[in-house]
Amino acid sequence: MTRKHTRWLGAVGSTVLATALLAGCVATGGEAQGPKEGPDSDGPLILQSRFTDAEKGGLENLVKIFNDKGEGTVKINSIPTSTFNQQLPSYLTSKNPPDVYTWYAGQATRDFADQNLLLNLDSVWDTHKGDFPENLAKLSEDSKGTKVFIPTNNYWWGVYYFKSDFEKLGVTPPKSWDEFLAVSTKIKGEGVTPVTMGLSDNAWLASAWFDYLDLRINGAEFHQDLLAGKKSYDSPEVKKVFTAFGQVLPFMDPATLGTTHNQAISDFSQGKAAMYLLGAWAQPAIPADKKNDLAFFQFPIIDPSVPIAEEAPTDGFIASVKTTKPELAKKFLDFIASAEAQTELAKGQDGTALPANLRATVNLDALATQGKEMIQSAKAVTQFYNRDAGDAQQTPADTALTSFIANPGNVDQILKTWEDAAQKIRANS
Amino acid sequence: MTTSTPVRERRRIKVPPPLVFVLVLVPFLIEAVGVFWPAIQGISLSFLRWNGIGPATSVGVQNYTDLFSDPIFLTALKNTAIWIVLFGGISFVAGLGVALLFQSERRGVAIYRTAMFLPIVFSLVVTALIWGAFFQPNGVLNNVLDAVGLHDWTRVWLGDPDTALYAVIIAALWREIGYVMVLFIAGLKALDPSVQEAARVDGASAWQRFRFVTLPQLRSVIMVVISVLLIDSLRSFDIVWAMTGGGPFHSTELLSTYMFSTAFSAHALGYASAIAVVIFVLAIAVIISYLVRALSEEKES
Repeated sequence: MTRKHTRWLGAVGSTVLATALLAGCVATGGEAQGPKEGPDSDGPLILQSRFTDAEKGGLENLVKIFNDKGEGTVKINSIPTSTFNQQLPSYLTSKNPPDVYTWYAGQATRDFADQNLLLNLDSVWDTHKGDFPENLAKLSEDSKGTKVFIPTNNYWWGVYYFKSDFEKLGVTPPKSWDEFLAVSTKIKGEGVTPVTMGLSDNAWLASAWFDYLDLRINGAEFHQDLLAGKKSYDSPEVKKVFTAFGQVLPFMDPATLGTTHNQAISDFSQGKAAMYLLGAWAQPAIPADKKNDLAFFQFPIIDPSVPIAEEAPTDGFIASVKTTKPELAKKFLDFIASAEAQTELAKGQDGTALPANLRATVNLDALATQGKEMIQSAKAVTQFYNRDAGDAQQTPADTALTSFIANPGNVDQILKTWEDAAQKIRANS
Repeated sequence: MTTSTPVRERRRIKVPPPLVFVLVLVPFLIEAVGVFWPAIQGISLSFLRWNGIGPATSVGVQNYTDLFSDPIFLTALKNTAIWIVLFGGISFVAGLGVALLFQSERRGVAIYRTAMFLPIVFSLVVTALIWGAFFQPNGVLNNVLDAVGLHDWTRVWLGDPDTALYAVIIAALWREIGYVMVLFIAGLKALDPSVQEAARVDGASAWQRFRFVTLPQLRSVIMVVISVLLIDSLRSFDIVWAMTGGGPFHSTELLSTYMFSTAFSAHALGYASAIAVVIFVLAIAVIISYLVRALSEEKES
């Protein structure tokens, strides 16, 4: 018995000792590793892509064109989007990371760049002087002004509707907030749900309403400051945004919290719901026979004195600073930045993306032309909530917006909780 | 005395054959790399503040003290308790009931047994899809309620914080009951029918035969079932994640889903590790206390 005890104690003791020893060994340091010196190592350049099957045609085509040039080989490694987004920090901090990645411009890229995880792409930008609009240059930099991102395209957000449905309901696209509320009242009177959203599996869609209401009421500058933590969510300005959002709730599908995005799209396509605030990426989900009927209008103007801002999320590429093939990576990204490549890429994107390179030639359909003009005429351009605020801030935003939809009377408590959660995340990262 | 000495002598010098070392060391090494090492890393991470990319800072036990002022964590803790009681309890009772019902070989009973067992062949994510369609606002459940004139009972089942957790539990039960039934049927089949017969001859009622004859004989199976159910409850993740993602506004969050979203959406790896440690401690505590009781009971009998 005693012998058994001693053995037990011995085992426990050595486990504790091992724990203490190992605890110091977890690799949690922010490694500031410089780019590789000297010639590239052999082997193909690994391109980690989050594109879905529907989107990746254009990219595969690009890679094929590049490989045929004979300057090096690029291999695509496709990862499901949500996995990719969750795992990107692990990829970039691993010892032998993939070389090049699809990613989002703005804060989402800056978060990594400021930890010295991204390859300096100033040289690629230098060879493409004048190819990209000025506002995209800003979005492609780290905090010190080094270029770390190659933009490929952006897209627009708008309130989508079907022309034939609006005709049947006897309404025209509203321009101002009052017109929007009047149109919604009219549509509701006809027994149709004015506004839908599929929040049960895509709660983040509610942030589009928050973004736009804030941009229209408080302007882009306040919005950016708020998302960066310089203004607070329990301020009177944000309260005003929620008051306006509260005006929309009576017109929103009451089941929106339990409705999936696919279901909402299907309700919208069948005319059960009249309007859906969406990004251009959602267009391919509309049934083919209704595509010609699809239209969108600019998010209504609330305060005409506030300069118009639009959401134009920008996609593109980044490279890992630890790549063993920095020269090939830059060569590939140089190709990606070219008008030729961006023309090719846009072809594979179903008319829902606007090439970032100004010299790319694309035949834009009516919706894309409208979207492009809307973005170009905007005084300021934002990315989207999670891209401007950082991915980690999306969850508290979802919580605040969905709980407001369920309990609009609770607004003060909800905004307080949101501010606390946002501060906690900022302190933690 | 004289006879025992050589035996002891022989035992002391006997070295186990190398194969034994291999059989012990190889699994131990695999276990060490795959289980112990990550577990130890998780524990050490829980004392840090780390976003996965920047440098980590040590915060002592702050992650743990923060947990208890975090309303989402407390909701998740409460939901996990509800989950263990309802999911574990109902699976146990219903599984045992169905097993008793379907244990005897009557004509057609195999069909019922198969029907009860069938849900297990679906992956949890598929189960989530099926039940998602059942519970959706214009789905089967609401349509049936409408058709029988119970329109007032219709709800946005998965979108209403009052009903969402229970809707998910029902979906999880649908799958678990068949599994528990199979375990119990296996146990029941192994019982000696003559004991039942003897009890019947002695004039025991059906309830008495169940309570004093069947149940005590099933003790070892019950122990297995309870362990399985506790572990299944604590590791439940996929069905919640697939059906609600922890929403609406965290009302269906379990410890496991909250840990996942904290780690991979909020990128607060230290805080998420602290949640993981809490889950680990809970699981260990529940299982050890149960095993200790079960073993001491066994010793008594």
